[in-house]
Amino acid sequence: MRAMGEPAKKEDKDKAPRPKDVQRGVWSAETIAEIRHKAFYGKHRIRGCGSVRSYPSFDDLIILPAMLTRMSIDTYREDCKTQTVLGHRFAKKPLVIETPIMISGMSYGALSKEAKTALAKATDIVGTSINNGEGGLLPEERANSYKQVVQILPSRMAFSLRSIEAADALELAAGIGAKPGLAGHLMGSKITKEIAEMRQLPVGIDLHSHPRHSDIFGADDLVLKIQELRDVTDYQIPIFFKFAAGRVKEDVKIAVKAGVDGVVIDGSQGGTGAAPVIASEHLGIPTLPALVQATQALEEMGLKDEVSLIVSGGITNGADVAKALALGADAVALGTGVMVAMGCAVCLRCHEGRCAFGIGTQDPELRSRLDIDQAARKVANYITAMTAEAVMLAKAAGKTQLKSMEREDLRSLSLTACAMTGIPLAGSNYTFGEMFGFC
Amino acid sequence: MCGIAGFIANDSSTLGGDLNRMLRKLIHRGTDATGVAFYENRDQIKLRVALSSPEAEPDLKSLVEARARVIDSRIYAGKGVYTFYEASLAMEEEGVKELNWALDSHPDLCVHSIGPRISIYKDEGSAQELAQRHEIKPGSCSHGIGHVRLATESVENINLAHPFTSYLLPELALVHNGQFTNYFNLRRSLEAKGIRFKTTNDSEMAAHFIAWQMTEKGLSLEEALRLGLDTFDGVFTLLVATDDKIGALRDRLGIKPMVYFQQEEGRVLFGSEQICLTPIVDDVFATEMEPGEVKVWSV
Amino acid sequence: MVRLNIKGMSSREVNARLRELMGTEAEIVIEHPDSVHNLGAALKGQGRIVVEGSTGFYTGGFLEGPTMVIKGNTGWYTGDNMTAGEIIVEMNTGSNAAPSMIGGTVVIKGSTGSRTGFGMKGGDLIICGDAGRWTGGMTLGGRIIILGRVGQGLGESMYKGIIHTADPQVEEKIGGNVIVKPIDRREKEEVAGLLARYGLQAGVENLASVLPNPSGRHQYHLFKPTHKKAG
Repeated sequence: MRAMGEPAKKEDKDKAPRPKDVQRGVWSAETIAEIRHKAFYGKHRIRGCGSVRSYPSFDDLIILPAMLTRMSIDTYREDCKTQTVLGHRFAKKPLVIETPIMISGMSYGALSKEAKTALAKATDIVGTSINNGEGGLLPEERANSYKQVVQILPSRMAFSLRSIEAADALELAAGIGAKPGLAGHLMGSKITKEIAEMRQLPVGIDLHSHPRHSDIFGADDLVLKIQELRDVTDYQIPIFFKFAAGRVKEDVKIAVKAGVDGVVIDGSQGGTGAAPVIASEHLGIPTLPALVQATQALEEMGLKDEVSLIVSGGITNGADVAKALALGADAVALGTGVMVAMGCAVCLRCHEGRCAFGIGTQDPELRSRLDIDQAARKVANYITAMTAEAVMLAKAAGKTQLKSMEREDLRSLSLTACAMTGIPLAGSNYTFGEMFGFC
Repeated sequence: MCGIAGFIANDSSTLGGDLNRMLRKLIHRGTDATGVAFYENRDQIKLRVALSSPEAEPDLKSLVEARARVIDSRIYAGKGVYTFYEASLAMEEEGVKELNWALDSHPDLCVHSIGPRISIYKDEGSAQELAQRHEIKPGSCSHGIGHVRLATESVENINLAHPFTSYLLPELALVHNGQFTNYFNLRRSLEAKGIRFKTTNDSEMAAHFIAWQMTEKGLSLEEALRLGLDTFDGVFTLLVATDDKIGALRDRLGIKPMVYFQQEEGRVLFGSEQICLTPIVDDVFATEMEPGEVKVWSV
Repeated sequence: MVRLNIKGMSSREVNARLRELMGTEAEIVIEHPDSVHNLGAALKGQGRIVVEGSTGFYTGGFLEGPTMVIKGNTGWYTGDNMTAGEIIVEMNTGSNAAPSMIGGTVVIKGSTGSRTGFGMKGGDLIICGDAGRWTGGMTLGGRIIILGRVGQGLGESMYKGIIHTADPQVEEKIGGNVIVKPIDRREKEEVAGLLARYGLQAGVENLASVLPNPSGRHQYHLFKPTHKKAG
């Protein structure tokens, strides 16, 4: 009788089947490559685009349609208003745009001149705003944009009274979702003579901007800084405050108390030209829960109707827009999305400055590949189509105004989204703890 | 689907019965509940309260008696589980708002109407049943509005039936055919201003909105209705009565109906359908309100 | 001829009675209609019904053959989806007249409200007075004639069919995906003949024709920015 544990046929010992160990646990190919990179360079890896991992997002929510409880609005033959007014809390001239979709701050430096010009032209076609980002206001951008938001960052590069005078709104930035707590990273290969001149930098250095405003060391300074800006702008234009989503409720309350007209929350899905990968992937909370917390903060202060709420970070389509508005946003801002519309393939190598589409590069030969008017048309098409998608969903939910979207129109499809947002689970209407909304 | 009706009749001793007959013609639009609001030519503050249980009666009495002298009162059972209290009160008109809110703050009490001219009766069932059970016999009235309800939720909760009032302006009454699709957003906005809601019915929001615009912002009824036209979203035909006006509003898509007919003697009839005018006037050329139209008549 | 007093009768009872009588009576006169709903619903035959008063919703809904004359007003949805026959309303009618009408003729001597003739598939709808907004929306055929004025959104996204109106401001009132042109000779003859049949005195010279745009392709814009409006 054969003993246990012996091969079936003694002659076939050499032909024994080999076990397969496919999984590697934490030691995935990506992890191994990262370790080898650190072993070689002795420092953190910097890469374009921002975080690439998946997060709970607006896709985890669904919109409830009108049926008998309410009438749906004819998608094609009845109107739904999209005009959006931002910053009316204190500003005498609030920002009025035709769609709640804005273009967020992306620097001339990270992007080519052609890309910035194209984006500005697109805003004029659809009637929305663009934000200059870090490193100054490109004259071609201001000349072509419909509405211009000017960003005030810690670096204050190329920022002067002229920048404020050219602005339709100001955005004081404390951080971005792609690298919360860090600041601008622009690699030497992208700091050309022109950009160096504009930013007053030496040519060819790697730029690592300081993350804190040198004149705002906390909430107490912020109050005075805002007051200074108010005295400079004579309360004419809105002042927004942008920060990366972290301790959202507290940050919102501080900014609101300091006297801003609106807050801009950038979730972890936000993009950037260059950032340390470890910072993109492990800092900051996603846009979805950040938005809910921001809305709750404003409601706890009783100022939801007064303070504008703008969100960015991973907004891709009209469903994101409709759901964001439902959760309390007044507007959304696009970054990576409009780059993709122009031709970006999300290769994640913006930091190298070799963008084959002429978007994230300063190389003249590569830049010549971007046809400005065609790119502007594509971005305008994208924003138009996204607005139409949001409109379609809002009408299907019975609304004649995009801003009538409510959190009670939503249901969660996943436990995580339900737990993060307080939106009841589809079917059971179960919520973890307190429901966000009435039903 | 619900039905609404209204009548400006100046000095009419038959308005109670007239409005009732108009509502009976609309019964197919809503069989769950009926409600009416009359503006009588009296100058005595009358209070009408629904109690969700008779055990709330002592609380009700003590809240009322702390603020007013009760001249006469009656208490009786409604069609469903509710008990109704009606009292004529001697008190200063300035105290009406506070008494209104004090009563509404009690979980088992809901003010249906309070004021020197207004009386609101609402209960489950038809207009006929309402008139009989509540012994509705108004004196000479100037105007009134009414509603038949098709309940989509909580049939038994009579406080969800129309007409709605607002403690901000107690002599305002509102009836609504349709739904507001931004009710929750608007409710939150109003709550942020300190306005407190008694029910989850979206029509209550419209009553508070209009009352707030008229009291806090000093808007006229017409201006408040026009602002409502732009602010409310959804489908809505509204009849809003104050002590000296009736306003009618039809949303821009004009999905729900509203007709009116103006007689020479300054009498005006309103209703969801032509049919409800027929008990009062023979076949007439009733005007259909335009989508997006606001019209206000002085009484 | 027979007189039928329907006071206190339900629409079900009335219609059952009408069905019984249609086989044998050439004319039925209805007394005390009291704005009953659904009068003449799905009635077939060749008889004539005269209503001495006003009716409610869905008068002559799914009518297939008889002639109905209402001496008062009718409510909404008059002639809903009717296949054949005639409905003549002496006074005015509520909104949404003759929706999805397939055939036959509806004549409204007074005025009507909004959404008249929505989705009409065939037949003739004549309004001697004014019609409200969104008249003739998304029609699949048929002919609508409005001798008075119309509201905004006339003929919105018609697929087929034709609308004639005497409203002098028709160009400003048409909806999307339709064109306006002067009435042509053949159309004039047809309309004149139709109006004459019902004893309607009206000139056809000042009628305009509204038709689906010739390309047949409907254009829609869900996003309508206003920042470039001439001002």
